[in-house]
Amino acid sequence: MRQLRIDLAKCEGGRNCEHECEEACATRVFKLGDRKSAALHIQAGAEGQDSAVLCDQCGDCVVVCPADALKRNKLGVVMIDKQLCVGCYMCIGFCEKGAFERNPGWLEPYKCTACGICVKACPHAALEIVDAPLPAPRII
Amino acid sequence: MSQAPAGTPIPPCEVDFTQRTEYHEGLDAIRAAHRLLAEVRFTPGLPQRGYNDRTLYVNLGTLEVQERPVTRQMKDLFVGGRGFGLWQLWNAVTPATRWNDPENEIIISPGPVAGITQYPGSGKSLVVSLSPQTDIPIDSNVGGYFGPLLKFSGFDGLELQGKADQDVILFIDGQKGIIRLEAAPREPVDSHVLAEVLTRMYAEDAADRSNISVVSTGAAADHSLIGMLNFSWWDKRRGCIRLKQAGRGGIGTVFRDKRIRALVCRGPVIKADLNHAADFETLARTGIKLHREIRENDDSQCKMRRNGTAHIVEIMDAYDLLPTHNFQYGSHPDTHKIDSTVWQARCTQTTVDGCWYGCSMACAKGADGVVLRTGPYKGHMVTVDGPEYENAAGLGSNGGIFDPDWLLELNFYCDTYGICTITYGTLAAFTMECYQRGILNRERTGGLELTWGNAEADLEMMHQMARGEGFGLIAGQGVHKMKQIFAANGWGDPQLLQDIGMEIKGLEYSQYLSKESLAQQGGYALTNKGPQHDEAWLIFMDMVNKQLPTFEAKAEALYYFPLWRTWFGLMGFCKLPWNDVAPSNNASTAEPAKIPEHVENYLALFGATTGIPIDSPTMLIQSARVYNFQRIFNIRMGKGLRAHDLPPYRSVGPVTREEYESRAERYDRQMQEEIGVDPAGRTLDEKIALTREYRMARYGKLCDAVYQRRGWTPDGVPTLARLRELGLDALPEVVAIAQAHGG
Amino acid sequence: MIQVNGDPLAWTPDLTVRGVLKAKNYKFRMLVTSIDGVQVKPADYDTTPVPDGAVVQVIHLISGG
Repeated sequence: MRQLRIDLAKCEGGRNCEHECEEACATRVFKLGDRKSAALHIQAGAEGQDSAVLCDQCGDCVVVCPADALKRNKLGVVMIDKQLCVGCYMCIGFCEKGAFERNPGWLEPYKCTACGICVKACPHAALEIVDAPLPAPRII
Repeated sequence: MSQAPAGTPIPPCEVDFTQRTEYHEGLDAIRAAHRLLAEVRFTPGLPQRGYNDRTLYVNLGTLEVQERPVTRQMKDLFVGGRGFGLWQLWNAVTPATRWNDPENEIIISPGPVAGITQYPGSGKSLVVSLSPQTDIPIDSNVGGYFGPLLKFSGFDGLELQGKADQDVILFIDGQKGIIRLEAAPREPVDSHVLAEVLTRMYAEDAADRSNISVVSTGAAADHSLIGMLNFSWWDKRRGCIRLKQAGRGGIGTVFRDKRIRALVCRGPVIKADLNHAADFETLARTGIKLHREIRENDDSQCKMRRNGTAHIVEIMDAYDLLPTHNFQYGSHPDTHKIDSTVWQARCTQTTVDGCWYGCSMACAKGADGVVLRTGPYKGHMVTVDGPEYENAAGLGSNGGIFDPDWLLELNFYCDTYGICTITYGTLAAFTMECYQRGILNRERTGGLELTWGNAEADLEMMHQMARGEGFGLIAGQGVHKMKQIFAANGWGDPQLLQDIGMEIKGLEYSQYLSKESLAQQGGYALTNKGPQHDEAWLIFMDMVNKQLPTFEAKAEALYYFPLWRTWFGLMGFCKLPWNDVAPSNNASTAEPAKIPEHVENYLALFGATTGIPIDSPTMLIQSARVYNFQRIFNIRMGKGLRAHDLPPYRSVGPVTREEYESRAERYDRQMQEEIGVDPAGRTLDEKIALTREYRMARYGKLCDAVYQRRGWTPDGVPTLARLRELGLDALPEVVAIAQAHGG
Repeated sequence: MIQVNGDPLAWTPDLTVRGVLKAKNYKFRMLVTSIDGVQVKPADYDTTPVPDGAVVQVIHLISGG
């Protein structure tokens, strides 16, 4: 499946860039003004404990959605069908990576769709789209 | 069998949960036989801040269809849910009305918060009617989609009065704004078939099935007093209907007495905020918080997502509280055959099991691929909704049945035949004890050998009930009437029958052993509708935690918990997410048994939906109004005084020698330490009598303390002062009834 | 001798909180446990010793369906 991955060493926790990835995601993909609304977040940490929050397409949300609104597309990417979504936010609550986003103006949540726009925007080539094996669905 | 921890990769699926026998082949012919009796147009609407401000009234006899306003007074005094149901029933009946008079109503009311999709357990409705078993109001709570779909069609409740002269379907189309009453002569009778057929019939396409909910019962409701109502929803992943039950009190019997075959509601597509909440962000934030809490804690706490309520089967057994052999004992060596490890393996773990959107507690487990062994559907493959704890205990241990396959079959047939599993479990256990004691025999039961554990005889009794023949017809009258029938026939000693027949006011006990918990004896006997545990469940607080040592402490618990628990039924909430999961820091709060953070969540959800902020004292008053109104209603209908709060002795202490001897050490110690009598010099029969006298006197003292705490007279009548405090003095008939009985 | 929810229970020198729960057959999992008024976290049940004469409280957070 298509998956966004980050090399945190190259990223340097966003210390040496303008978080162009978040900027591109928020403004160009989701048309939201603030880079904090992006579907990925880069966090500089103490003593090299940098972290990134992003969706790895694990599929836990697919398992819990009561409206069957979360499904993998042909590339294996988990996509939200806004027509089916009932706004229960179980996906947000059950995502262990914190990868789901909410915009107070929108009833449906949103997430990374591995579109690759952030990959192009990153000045350190820290992001890439890979083909990862499809994980087995879990009992959660 | 070991339990799969959370996060376990799923093993290859052995049961294909999309496979089952299907019943919709003859659908076109069934639909073609419908005849339109009445059609009315209405303007669909959505609630504002949780209320549509109108309810729907339908008279099945006159074919009248009316929109009725929800008044300011209704909202102030009764809020919604059970409150609306009781108020509308009060106005529909007189003290002379019986359950099978046309004036009796069936009222379905969701509640102002019902239908939100963010917080677990927010899709419930309360169903209210005069009960065929008790002759007083019964209130029964139920999940499924009907309540929210009705609400989002534009109605805060549905009142059904009168009787049709043929079997009818009431169809409410909340998308097109059409209400239809249709003669339905060829419909299947039993719910697992009927709900599937009607869901497919009334849905305009496959996607529309999610917008349909069916209310129905089954064949046994035509021939017994213990009928219940199934509320359906469409399970997308399984591709079938699922059922939740408004179980207690025989409302399904009233349904069929009115010749209703089914109610069908087609609602709009469900979205996040159809209630138009005053503060949606609070709903979203609080819901997400609970989803996270359940994700993190459920697996190490109650495992509701894996086992549903059946997780407590082995717990009750470990604490000697699992009803066994008609509430004689509290445990059995074979309980492990029907405990939660069995159900976790048997129930499908790989799909979504909430009975309304947003329920991450998801306890509506289903056992797929069950092939039935008896009855009219022998050989069919079905999905069994359950078993819930009450079913495993009531249909299982209470009858001495410890075979999981028979248990699933008993559960299934109760559901499809439309009878309450709790009621059936207790009445079957009663018949078995009577059989074991020679009060019943093969001649009297028409050949049914109702011995402990004989599941086949038990099932045959149920099939007879569905066919309307044989001993099944007698059993279907319920424990209260069976006592009268047996005594009139000279079968057994009437006092023994009274002692071991577990019912009060005509309603059977639910599946918890109150024998050693004075607080729970009150919890059951002092419940408005009859001995259902939804008002108070104090066994552990009392017996295990020893948190209620004095009469005053017990009375305080029997004041607070029934009011708190009643509140859920005014709102549209399910109680289970309140206490079957707890925040990680709950233990360090001042009153951990109340799960205080969850209480705050619920108050916030009410305020965020309606725009009316409330605190705990206000919440208690909201409940107390409805609670005391219901007590007055009981008095109005003839069963609301102290004399009617008297429990059968089996629920209070040991009736028989075997019971005393099974717990001799405990009872002898009580005799020594509390009664002040040395058991050594006494015969067994003397000890039984002494214990009985002591315990019944103790129960009387508890009543005194509870009545006082509730603001009632020693005869159990709400005082004028209490009614005034609650604002119920605005209802002159309520005041008159209280005054007429010394209130 | 110790007290558990008001009832006496025999004490042994190696008694832990876990041992108390086992002795009482307290299988339920949502528990609030304290020794002489001091709370013990579930993670510490196996390793926390219970002294002779202790007053132990095990509150079950179970309120029924």
